[in-house]
Amino acid sequence: MEVIMVDQRKCTGCHQCELWCANEISSESKEMPASFSDEPQPVPRVFVEGKQFALHCRHCPDAPCVEACPNGTMSRDENGLVFVNDTTCIACWMCVMACPFGVINPYSTMKLAIKCDRCRNMGYPICVEVCPTNALQLAERDVKAFPASKA
Amino acid sequence: MKYIIIGGSAAAIQAVEAVRSVDQRSSIELFADEETPLFSRVLLPYYVAEELPKKLLNFRPLTFFEDHEVISHLGVRITAIDPDTRTVTADNGQKHEYDRLLIATGGRPIVPPIPGVDKKGIFPLKTMQDAENIFNAQGKRAVVIGAGSIGVESCISLKRKGMEVNLVEQLGRVLPTVFDDQASSIIRKRIEGLGIKVRTGEKAVRFHGNGSVTSLSTSERDIDCDLVVMSIGVTPNIELAESAGLDIGELGGIAVNDRMRTSAAGIFAAGDVAETQDIALDKKSINAIWPCAVEQGKVAGLNMAGKKVLYPGSLRMNSIGNFIGQPAISIGMVNAPVEEGGVEAGEHYQEVVRSSQDTYRKLVLKGNRIVGATLVGDTQKAGIFTVLIKKQVNVDEFVPLLMSHKLNFMEILPLIRRYSDKFKEIEYKELMDTGL
Ligand SMILES: Cc1cc2nc3c(=O)[nH]c(=O)nc-3n(C[C@H](O)[C@H](O)[C@H](O)COP(=O)(O)OP(=O)(O)OC[C@H]3O[C@@H](n4cnc5c(N)ncnc54)[C@H](O)[C@@H]3O)c2cc1C
Ligand code: SF4
Ligand code: SF4
Repeated sequence: MEVIMVDQRKCTGCHQCELWCANEISSESKEMPASFSDEPQPVPRVFVEGKQFALHCRHCPDAPCVEACPNGTMSRDENGLVFVNDTTCIACWMCVMACPFGVINPYSTMKLAIKCDRCRNMGYPICVEVCPTNALQLAERDVKAFPASKA
Repeated sequence: MKYIIIGGSAAAIQAVEAVRSVDQRSSIELFADEETPLFSRVLLPYYVAEELPKKLLNFRPLTFFEDHEVISHLGVRITAIDPDTRTVTADNGQKHEYDRLLIATGGRPIVPPIPGVDKKGIFPLKTMQDAENIFNAQGKRAVVIGAGSIGVESCISLKRKGMEVNLVEQLGRVLPTVFDDQASSIIRKRIEGLGIKVRTGEKAVRFHGNGSVTSLSTSERDIDCDLVVMSIGVTPNIELAESAGLDIGELGGIAVNDRMRTSAAGIFAAGDVAETQDIALDKKSINAIWPCAVEQGKVAGLNMAGKKVLYPGSLRMNSIGNFIGQPAISIGMVNAPVEEGGVEAGEHYQEVVRSSQDTYRKLVLKGNRIVGATLVGDTQKAGIFTVLIKKQVNVDEFVPLLMSHKLNFMEILPLIRRYSDKFKEIEYKELMDTGL
């Protein structure tokens, strides 16, 4: 499966990925700057963290969020991508408590767990597209390079 | 190979998926004494609150059994297991043979010997039928007895449904086994803010009423009511295992090893019925929560199908979700023990606390490892604590960062890297190999 790989040396911490993620994926208006004043506020699914590193859901092969979700809302699609089925989420935050990366946003206003699904319905992740330094790249998961994984 | 699974809930269904991920050909027969298949108990309070219709209570599609080629016997109870002949007997008298058997019978609500507890209008909340009973109950006044997770969720659900609600708890705080005093008092205020009367330190002593319950006497007062929800705890359904001569653990769950095997050949157990090693407490525990049932069902299923997969141990975690308008999460040990001066096997326990007006965070450390975490308010990063507890790493100089608002995964990457032998999964390796 393809995952987003991050080259830390290239990430300058410009937050373009966050901005575009919130605008494209969760805003009502989809146009900046109108989307800045959308209610509820658009939220990103990628977080520029630490000493500049864009962190997304890692689509763990053995995903603790999927195991914790009590009603199958957090599930995996045929391509291996972990996604939230918005309509059945009960905002119990069990997935939030389980995700080791802290990338699930418990969005109270919408009673919805929000996380990166690698833009599974759009064909191409917007963050990868807008990153000005190519720090974000879509790459085939290299299972052989990390044989210790239970994948 | 013939698989038989007793139970139709979290652990059982996960085991089916695990077996099928390895073995697509063998027969799997599943028995569950509840008629309604594939619903999630966790959602019952939402059903009671009229927030979820019945059709949204499922955690797997209704075609699950067909899709996984499982012969399902719903509404059929298993009454005996014979480990010598490797057969189970169902309540319709039929016997079925197995090569591998999973006991995923879960738990049942404890009914305390309070005088009048058999009156009409007093229900536990465990099965679909219980939820229907509560949902259809007449009257406006409800009492919930027991302020554990199920009790708290039930009382809020009944309130949302428009009832007058009293919550009675004999211990001194709400969620006594899940949250510490401070977190519990924040949560209590929220519950009271919803208009629920919270009565802690009060014991239910007698139910009154002619046939149906009309009032409850506690150690402090009389409370009129039309409906009572009993939620003082659950106890594992071990009768089948016990009469088959399987080893039972010291806490009363089925004893299993780290492959979820019981003491009898070919028989496994998983979920609320099993007693497992708790990672944080470092002793046996029955962690009756959904995520543990799923993990254990998976490990059991894989091992039943011939894989060698070890269960690293269970970890309690509870989230109050969206019930009180403020998130609150608790993982592992709630309070550092004070016995023996807070020292165990040469390791000191210590609590680190940070609180502001509406947030609270506490870590329980044993030596240099985190064994407990409580977060109220700001909870997005809670899973970082879960993984640090699960992997049992020394957090050393990272404590101030873990306690700060700035906490995020990339900030603790140096720690993850230091313990890279414990973080072998591909999702961590990919981040470590990024030139950092
Ligand atoms: C109201 C409520 C709210 C909850 N909320 C949460 C929550 O928010 N978070 C959380 O983590 N956990 C929660 N839980 C706990 C969670 O539901 C359980 O941990 C989980 O369901 C355990 O799954 P299990 O498969 O071990 O057993 P169970 O769900 O108890 O299922 C046992 C199964 O075994 C069957 N069975 C038993 N005996 C027999 C027999 N002799 N023959 C045939 N079949 C038999 C039953 O029909 C049932 O299908 C909640 C529970 C309740 C009741
Ligand atoms: S949300 Fe977290 S736990 Fe779930 S797949 Fe993504 S990174 Fe893994
Ligand atoms: S918050 Fe939503 S996605 Fe997360 S565990 Fe609960 S129901 Fe599943």
